[in-house]
Amino acid sequence: MSLRVAGMGWVTPLGSGLDHVWGRLLNGERAKAESISSPLGRAHAVFRAPAEAAAQAPAHPRLRRSSAISRFAVVAGLAALDDAKLKLDAKTSARTALIFAVSNGGVIYTRKFYHDIVESGAKAASPLLFPETVFNAPASHLAAILGINGASYTLVGDGAVGILALKMAEDLMLSETLDRCLVVGAEEADWLLCDAYRQWRLLRSKPPIEPFRRPARGMILSEGAGAVLLGRDGLIEIEKIAGGTNFRKQREAGAAVEKVFAELGGETDLVVASANGTFVDEAERAAVLRHCPHAKVYALKGFLGESVGASALWQTICGVQSLCTQLVPPDSLPTESELPLTAKPKGREQLRRAVISVCGLNQQVAGLRLVRN
Amino acid sequence: MPQFSQIKPAQNRARVAVVAAGIASPLGLGLDETLASLREGRDCITPVTVFPVENCRCKSAGQVPDDRLAACDGRARHPERLHRVARMMILALGEALIQAPGFVPELTVVGTTSGGMTFGEEYYRRLKGGPRSARGAASLIANYTPQKPVMDAQEAFGISAPCQIIANACASGTNAIGHAFDCVRSGRYQRVLTGGYDALSELVFVGFDSLQAATPERCRPFDRDRSGLVLGEGAAVLFLENLDSARKRGAKILAEVIGYGISTDNHHLTQPNPSGSGPRQAMEGALQSARIKAAEIDYINAHGTATPFNDAAEGKAIAEMFNGVPVSSTKGMMGHSLGAAGAIEAVISLLALQDQLLPPNINFRRADDGLDLNIVANNSRPGKLRTVLSNSFGFGGTNASVILRAHET
Repeated sequence: MSLRVAGMGWVTPLGSGLDHVWGRLLNGERAKAESISSPLGRAHAVFRAPAEAAAQAPAHPRLRRSSAISRFAVVAGLAALDDAKLKLDAKTSARTALIFAVSNGGVIYTRKFYHDIVESGAKAASPLLFPETVFNAPASHLAAILGINGASYTLVGDGAVGILALKMAEDLMLSETLDRCLVVGAEEADWLLCDAYRQWRLLRSKPPIEPFRRPARGMILSEGAGAVLLGRDGLIEIEKIAGGTNFRKQREAGAAVEKVFAELGGETDLVVASANGTFVDEAERAAVLRHCPHAKVYALKGFLGESVGASALWQTICGVQSLCTQLVPPDSLPTESELPLTAKPKGREQLRRAVISVCGLNQQVAGLRLVRN
Repeated sequence: MPQFSQIKPAQNRARVAVVAAGIASPLGLGLDETLASLREGRDCITPVTVFPVENCRCKSAGQVPDDRLAACDGRARHPERLHRVARMMILALGEALIQAPGFVPELTVVGTTSGGMTFGEEYYRRLKGGPRSARGAASLIANYTPQKPVMDAQEAFGISAPCQIIANACASGTNAIGHAFDCVRSGRYQRVLTGGYDALSELVFVGFDSLQAATPERCRPFDRDRSGLVLGEGAAVLFLENLDSARKRGAKILAEVIGYGISTDNHHLTQPNPSGSGPRQAMEGALQSARIKAAEIDYINAHGTATPFNDAAEGKAIAEMFNGVPVSSTKGMMGHSLGAAGAIEAVISLLALQDQLLPPNINFRRADDGLDLNIVANNSRPGKLRTVLSNSFGFGGTNASVILRAHET
C-alpha cells in the first residue's frame, strides 16, 4: 500500500493553474507586493492572489457571502480534482475525505464582525458574518460543492499545518473505506494579520523576502490556497511524513527541524525549504547542511511569500512538480549562502527524492519525503 | 511507528482502551466533582462575568471560576502568560496523568473551535487604542493560536507529542476522540492523547446571540418549549491506548472506545437537514465501525443544544434508529462548550458507564410531540449500562458520534 499524489491545484500571488504558476516560477518570477494600510496608519506590503484567480470559483449559493479564503480553497480543490481527471459522483465522493488546513482562517470577516461589536455594541453584530468566521467554514463550502458527505476535517496550526494535514490524511487512508483524500490549505491576507506579525517582529516592510540571508530581515504575508489529492496511484509517492514536533522558543527551532530531518532520513536530491527571512532560515540551514549537504535547496517563499496555512501545500506541489518535470526553479539568493541553492535550470535534473521542510512560526515543525518511482 | 506502506488494512482492528481521563468544566474540576454534579443534576449556569453582556439577549453561561484555575499555576513556567483555557487543559491533563503517570503519547489530537480567542479580542481592542496601547501585544498574538493551549499543557508536564488540532466547530471534541481512536485502532499508534477545549469569548458569545441561537431563558434540550442554547466552557482529555499494550503494562482500563462515525451535512452552513440525515449517518457509521447493532446501545449522550432545529434533527434520527434508549443532553447543566463539548461529554459517558448512572437532562418540562424519545428527565437515575453513544454536531454540517463500552476483563 502506498500513498501517492493524484492531483494538485493552487491559487497563488503568481496566479492559478498548475502549469501557469510553475512556468512563472521556472522563469524566476516573483510575486508583486501591494501596499495595504491599517487604520492605525501603518502601511504593509502583502502578496495578494490576483482577483481573477478567486473569480474562477463556481457560481454556487454557498459562495455568495463567503470570504476570500473559501473561494481560494474551492478553486484550488476543484483544480486538484481536475488535474486528477476525477469528477466526484455519489459513489466516489463517499470514498473521498476532505482535510482543510488553516492557520489564521477567515480573518477578514472575523475582524469586521468583532469591529462592529467593539464600535457599536453586541446589537450591531451581524448574523451573516458570524458563521463565516468559524475555522471550518471553507471546508464546509468545499464539501458542499464537491458533494462530500463523509469525513471532513479542519486542522489548525502554524505554517506546519499543511504537513500535519497530509499526515492526518495518511492516517485516514489506512482505512479501506477511503480511496482518496483531498488536502487543501488556504489563507487570506488582511492588515490585521500584518499588524500582528509586525508586532511579533517577523514582518518586513517591503519586498523582497530574502530566505537564508544573514541577518534575517523578515517575511511578507501572502494569500491563496494549495490542494493535493492523495490516492493510491500516481507518479509521485509520499514516502514518509514526519508528523510533527514542537519547539518552545525560537532559538530551539533548529533542534526541532533537525529531528524532523533525522526522522525523514534517506538520500535527498532536493529540499523545498520553508525559509522566509525569519528565524526559520537558521533552523533549516543547519539541518540541511547536516542531513542533506548535497541536495539542491529551493526557498519558495522568496517568490510567493508566507501564506502560513497554504504554504506547506505550495511547497509540496513545488516538490512534486520538480520530480515530475525534473526541473527546479531558480533561487535568487544571497551569494554568501553556503547552501547549494538552485540556479537557473540549464537542462533536466536527475531528481528522485525531495524533502519538504516546514518550520512554522509558532512552535510546530514537520516535513515529508517525496519519491519518484 | 510503522510506515504507511508497512500497514495492511487487515490489521485495522486493534482494541482501544481509555486508560485515563481528566476534566475541568462548569460541573467541577475533576472526575469526582463532575460525577457528583451529574448525580445531583446540578444547574451550573450562572450570569456571565468574563465580559459585558448587557446588550445581548442571553446573559448566562456555564463558566469555570477563575479562582479555581489558579490551582494549575505551579505547573507552568509563566502562568501569567497562560490563557485561561490553557489552565483548564493543564488541570485536565494533570488529573489524567495522576491516573496514568507513565503515559507518553505518540500523538496528540485535540478539538477546539476558537483557541485563545479572547487574546485575539484583547489584541484588537488594544490596537483600537492606538499604537502605544498595542505595545507588548506580541505575547497575545503568540498565545492566541489554537495549538498554544495544548502545547502549554503538554509543556507543563514535559510532553512533546506532535499536535493535531481539529477545528470542526462544535463536533471538534468528538472528532478528535474519533480520529485518535482510528489512529490506535489502525495499529499504527499505541498511545494517543485526545480531548477538547474551549473558553467563553465575547466574539463567539455575541455571535450565537446574533443568530438568536442563544436563549435568554433556561436551556431545555428536547423540551417542546426549548428556545436555544446556553454557552459553556471547559476542557477534557482522554488517554487512548492499544488494549494489549495497556494490559501488558498493567494499566487500569476505564473503558473501551469501540466505534466512531463522521458525516458532513451539506444542507446549510449553520442548520442541519431537517430529515436528520447528518446525525443518522454519523450514528450509523459509529455502529458500523463498532460492529454492533443499535439495540446494543444502552444510553445516548445527545448533542442536544436545545435549539429548535438541532434537537429536532437529532431527535428524529435517534427516534428512528433506537427503540426507546434512554437519552439525555447534559448541556442544560453546564452549557455548550463548543469544541470541548464532545470531549467533556465523552468523559460524562465514561462516568455513566463506571457509575451505572443515567445523567439527567435538566430543565425538561414537556415532551416534544414530534420527538419520540426516552428522555432522562431532570433527575439522574441508575441504569444498566454496557455501551453508550455520544453525539456532537456543529456548524459546517460536521457530525460525529463515538461509542464507548465498559471494559470487561
